[in-house]
Amino acid sequence: MLPGHAAAGGPNVTAGDTARMKPSTHWLASLVAALLAPALAHASDPVVTDSRVINEDRRLAILETKLAALQLQLAALEDTKSIERLQQAYGYYVSAGNAHEAAALFSEEPGASLEYAQSGVFLGRRRIEQFLAAGGASLRPGEIRETPVYQGVVHVAADGRTAKGRWRSLVMGGVHGEDGRWTEGPYENEYVKENGVWRIRTLHWYTTVSGSYAQGWHKLAYPVQGPLANLPPDRPPTQVYQSFPNFFLPPYHYFNPITGKPVGWDY
Amino acid sequence: MNHPTRYASLLGACAALILACPARAQAPAPAPDLSPRIAKAAARIAGISQQADRIGDYNELRNLQQIYGYYTDKALWDQVVDLFADDGSIELGLNGVYAGKANIRKYLYSLTGGKPGLGKGQLNNHFQLSPVITIASDGQSAKARWRTMIQDGVYGAGSGGNWGAGTYENEYVKQGGVWKLRTVHLYVKFYAPYEGGWTRASETDSLRYGKSSVKPTHPTTVAYHPYPAEFTAPFHYDNPAQSAYHLLPAPVAPPAATAAKTVADLEAQVRALELKLERLKATDEVENLENTYGFYADKSMQDAISALFTDNATLEILGRGVFIGRDRIYEYMRRLGAPTFGTLFNHMQMQPVIDVAADGNSAKIRSRLVVMYGLYEKAAQWGDGIYENVYVKDNGVWKYQNLLGYQTFYTNYNEGWGKHSSAMFSPFPGYPPDLPQSVAYDPYPAPFIPPFHYVNPVTGK
Repeated sequence: MLPGHAAAGGPNVTAGDTARMKPSTHWLASLVAALLAPALAHASDPVVTDSRVINEDRRLAILETKLAALQLQLAALEDTKSIERLQQAYGYYVSAGNAHEAAALFSEEPGASLEYAQSGVFLGRRRIEQFLAAGGASLRPGEIRETPVYQGVVHVAADGRTAKGRWRSLVMGGVHGEDGRWTEGPYENEYVKENGVWRIRTLHWYTTVSGSYAQGWHKLAYPVQGPLANLPPDRPPTQVYQSFPNFFLPPYHYFNPITGKPVGWDY
Repeated sequence: MNHPTRYASLLGACAALILACPARAQAPAPAPDLSPRIAKAAARIAGISQQADRIGDYNELRNLQQIYGYYTDKALWDQVVDLFADDGSIELGLNGVYAGKANIRKYLYSLTGGKPGLGKGQLNNHFQLSPVITIASDGQSAKARWRTMIQDGVYGAGSGGNWGAGTYENEYVKQGGVWKLRTVHLYVKFYAPYEGGWTRASETDSLRYGKSSVKPTHPTTVAYHPYPAEFTAPFHYDNPAQSAYHLLPAPVAPPAATAAKTVADLEAQVRALELKLERLKATDEVENLENTYGFYADKSMQDAISALFTDNATLEILGRGVFIGRDRIYEYMRRLGAPTFGTLFNHMQMQPVIDVAADGNSAKIRSRLVVMYGLYEKAAQWGDGIYENVYVKDNGVWKYQNLLGYQTFYTNYNEGWGKHSSAMFSPFPGYPPDLPQSVAYDPYPAPFIPPFHYVNPVTGK
């Protein structure tokens, strides 16, 4: 609180404030405030809210600052929607068996990567497309891969240039005439804004469970898919794990939103 | 700095100013003309507000399609018809186009024996997932691609129900400030008997979906064969990472009538704009919170889950009763135990219809829960439920105030919902709730409709 404000005897004056002031400084402060009100309005104290001190020019400056902040908030909202669109487009291209379009969703950075289950890491858009064409997003005759993506938890970085998202997909797969397959697991992906357009920088899909349609995942659970026979990855898997019946917790990119602490069984 | 020193220095500054600017002290200079800055700020407010409305459009379109799904779940066909524009049409599978509200109503009624609503034993779950929404630059129309997963059937008949999947390519129109369905077009991928599933189903199985004796207005618009034939529904959009499409339009100048003339006008407009953006941000934050709950529930994260609730929150799941307060919610979650080898507890969160209160301080959601349960070598289940939850902003952070999870069905994997549906889950043995179950109902095969927190977005009823 400004001394002038307190001394003016307004409703905000507390007993403590008054008691700390000697009577001699009390009237002096009032005088100073009265004399200096216009000049003080140009001082850079951000807590001034007294209408006798703040003038129209300053009120306008505060509004201009607020508008700049609102413009940034708006941009962050648009970013979240753009990332949803991008991520969902990926799922549709994978279902369509369209490796080229799926790969075109990735960043042009050499560090762009895709890691599917335990197949290892593929680096750069060209290698990503090779992997997708060799299996991740190609369909053999009679093959199906319905892969709805949902349950997004998306966080855009404060600078609006990168973002992270956790999602999941329940995949209805298999080849017609053979046993079908249920597969489920989360994505932990990273996105980057390049020339105003959001792209996928890192796509990492984990398998939680993969099981036989006919028998159920409890009776016939398949191991996590490993490397493709004819297409070794650029790097081994970032984490080695096994799916159901084993328990594995794919790390969250975010801390608990209330406690601000990391979450996991290992902490 | 102690007070006397501070005042002394202020007094000094005062004296210096008076000495340095005697003219100013006696006759203040005229106030600078602020009108150019006021006009500029007014234009900026209008621009941000228009763009924020486009974010609102996106959220409303999401809600609209998902509400369509929840009404379809229960064959509330009159509510579905009300979501359409007068010139709207619907095309499900290869059954032709039904155009105009009267034809849409007649067609939809025919899917449930000539009248709306589900009878005992009927299930019609119609998930809405994975939106790709594209809004026209004038903000008056939109297109969207969605996926559906279908769980339906008649209890005690057939092979345990049906699984279906397909892709919507829909069009929307904004009339009188309200978004409506204009063209609903579902490309059916498969519609397969539960026993055997999609890889054993024939094209004939899939062609059953949406079949009606009511004559369509127009023939099928796009000929295709469902799975196992190779077919992808046409995309209404270009590759988003290679396209110039942006959700937000370039701002246009505001009409002069609404432009602020004074700083006080501007202040009022900025306050309104701040609230508008807060409410839009709330939609994203609440969705993150709901989905985070699901990811924690998957892994039985008891501490992390209970931290998402307010001190005096309530939690009510299935028929377990009402638990009051964060500590009791923690104890509830403890009943579920820690994850171990051989257990699967997937709690998948889908289809969030989110409504934020006018003051931006609370929000409601209807969302869908799908559970994949597993006990290795022993048991597997599908579980299906509806949440109607309430959230509050507590010191700037969104938290759960009420979580209410309704039981649609839990079924053993080997049988399916058409052959087996568990009775209502009762309170944990030896661990009574603080209050009994708040809404009395029976799960499927009884045709219970969990109350909606929202009115029909088109009719307001």
